[in-house]
Amino acid sequence: MATIKLVDITHTYVKGRVETPALRGINLTFEEGCPSALLGPSGCGKTTLLNILSGLLIPSSGRVYFDDVDVTDLPTEERNIAQVFQFPVVYDSMNVYGNLAFPLKNRKVPHREVDQRVREVACLLDLIDDLDSGPRSLPAGKRQLLALGRGLVREDTSVILLDEPMTQIDVHQRWFLRRELSKVQSRLNITMIYVTHDQYEALTFAEKVVVMNDGLVVQEGTPEELYRNPQHPFVGYFIGTPGMNLMECRLEGNRLELPGFTKSISKALAEKLKKHGAQFKLGVRPEYVHCDTRKHEGWFPLTVTIVEDRGEFQIITLQGDGSSLKSQMPSTLQVTEGQQMWVNFLEEKVKVYKNDQAIV
Amino acid sequence: MGIKVENIGKSYGRKIVLNNLSMEVPSKSFTTLLAPTGSGKTTLLRIMAGIEKPDRGRVLYNGIDVTDVPVQKRSISMVYQQFINYPSLTVYENVASPLRVSKERYSARQIDERVQEVAKLLKIGHVLDHLPEELSGGEKQRTAIARALIKGSDFIFLDEPLANLDYKLREELRGELKTVMKGTTIVYATPEPIDALSMSSHIGYLNKGKIVQFGTVHEVYTLPLFVDVGHYFNDPSMNMMEGRLVKEGGKPFISLTGDLKIETSGLEEHLAEHKTYIVGVRPQDLSIMPDRVGMVSFEAEIDFTEIVGSSTTLHLVHGDLNLGLVVHQPEKSHRRGDTITVYLDPQRVYVYEKDSEKLVIAQGEAVPA
Repeated sequence: MATIKLVDITHTYVKGRVETPALRGINLTFEEGCPSALLGPSGCGKTTLLNILSGLLIPSSGRVYFDDVDVTDLPTEERNIAQVFQFPVVYDSMNVYGNLAFPLKNRKVPHREVDQRVREVACLLDLIDDLDSGPRSLPAGKRQLLALGRGLVREDTSVILLDEPMTQIDVHQRWFLRRELSKVQSRLNITMIYVTHDQYEALTFAEKVVVMNDGLVVQEGTPEELYRNPQHPFVGYFIGTPGMNLMECRLEGNRLELPGFTKSISKALAEKLKKHGAQFKLGVRPEYVHCDTRKHEGWFPLTVTIVEDRGEFQIITLQGDGSSLKSQMPSTLQVTEGQQMWVNFLEEKVKVYKNDQAIV
Repeated sequence: MGIKVENIGKSYGRKIVLNNLSMEVPSKSFTTLLAPTGSGKTTLLRIMAGIEKPDRGRVLYNGIDVTDVPVQKRSISMVYQQFINYPSLTVYENVASPLRVSKERYSARQIDERVQEVAKLLKIGHVLDHLPEELSGGEKQRTAIARALIKGSDFIFLDEPLANLDYKLREELRGELKTVMKGTTIVYATPEPIDALSMSSHIGYLNKGKIVQFGTVHEVYTLPLFVDVGHYFNDPSMNMMEGRLVKEGGKPFISLTGDLKIETSGLEEHLAEHKTYIVGVRPQDLSIMPDRVGMVSFEAEIDFTEIVGSSTTLHLVHGDLNLGLVVHQPEKSHRRGDTITVYLDPQRVYVYEKDSEKLVIAQGEAVPA
């Protein structure tokens, strides 16, 4: 397994005279043995980056290193990578055993060694009872494991790239597959890079999540860091369901003027903010937005527009003059659409951004 | 009123897709057909809409049999998983198209008013002069939804409309669809429990060509009548544990594993001794702290932890059992291999008969047969 380093990577797609920049200067290190994820919306550049890692694409500029070897110009087959795609790539004409053995037989590995490796990998992936089955008879989650297994049988694999591997898999099969992936990761200490638009998958899989937007890395960190401490409003919005509430605000003395309501803040916070100007963006997570049917000192009135029941809690959308705020409250709170609510949040739970950089 | 399907049968060759299926969708409800992939929900939706004909049975709209009425003559709209728009028409013309071909003969002004209205609702006002290929995935699907809304159809059918969208877009549209669709009868097919929970008023859980349970979302969530409904209609899935009813010291217990028992005093007449039951408990109802009175505790080993935004899911192992537990905190203080004490509230469990897979006890109370 290898440590992977991307240095000053840029990439621009050229079609006739039209140039579309896809990556605008990426510097990243994926440590050996660390499960990592590239997370971002469609068009953020994550697939371009994946193609550069796998060797399907040579970047416009910048270098790619596997350990200390520059692989930027090496073709895919010389990089020793294994890939898992949206659709499991398996041979339906062979049984599970044949599928697992194929990459080794192709390399003329001695028969006994092939058999040993196939059984080891099948044990690891809980496919040992399925060796004689045809891949078609396996559930979707197991077919993906088989595709992964074909990458694992070779001992010289330097990295495993997973490209949206859960897309075709039912909700409850995903639970099983996540568990298996996590097990493989911890047993084999493999470098894995998981590419997805789905925060749930990225956060559950990876120890390090790289959030991308518009061809740039916006923030990298553990799932907990990204959730607790989003350094950029995009991360606050993108991580969390629903994402962080983000509102433009103006500092006036010891008050923040927001669209539709005013919030008093401590002197200490006001002083801190004053150094950065008067205009800010304020972020607060829905679980820190409290609402009540009764009036409290300093709370502000908003109207409930949408109530979404999520089983053990509910998401309430609150609207004021020009503002919209989401609140996560227990299902026990009786609330109906159209009702007025008194709303507040603690200033310790607030993030303040200036020019898209967190300052508080 | 609303939509009624009666004794619907449908096969493709030798494969039975729908098997004598009956269901009633209340008027102006947002009904979700929740089902695993391949269980016939798309077929059912297409039969309800009139795109496909059933082999047997009838479809009624507001009490009138429409089984043989062709789809063009029904007041319906349909939205698909694929973003279907006319590629050569602008977004404006795409949205306006149902009115242009309508027999009602709308004036240009009426059309413009309606297009602006639904475009505003679906937040595509700024791309009305664009062609579909210039749009993002989310905008393409918003256009298709706007087109479905503009006619003011009595019934709108949606077949996994969010499946091809990014996670974040899905989340946004989920909130909006509920508002946008208000006042129309909606049937929405999806394999995702969260779609059903966050948007719909009613839910029909479909499996193997039959409606297993139908009711309001609240009814089905609090009273999942069969093992597979309970298991499926929760994310993560409900934990299911098998056990037998035994008597110890004169008290009845369902014994799940060596040291994990759930007392069932007061429910004797609904449970039989030595019979096997399946006990279901939601991952959200297992706890790492004894936060209620009368909780049962047991030791479990942490297999791994997942942080999902504001909550953390622990994957636990206890004997042969694999269990999920949700903690409402983003933390990773628990490590793989650690042993922790888990608390279970006997008042929060669902007890199913193993043979019939039917619910007998729900959260401490007997379920009427």
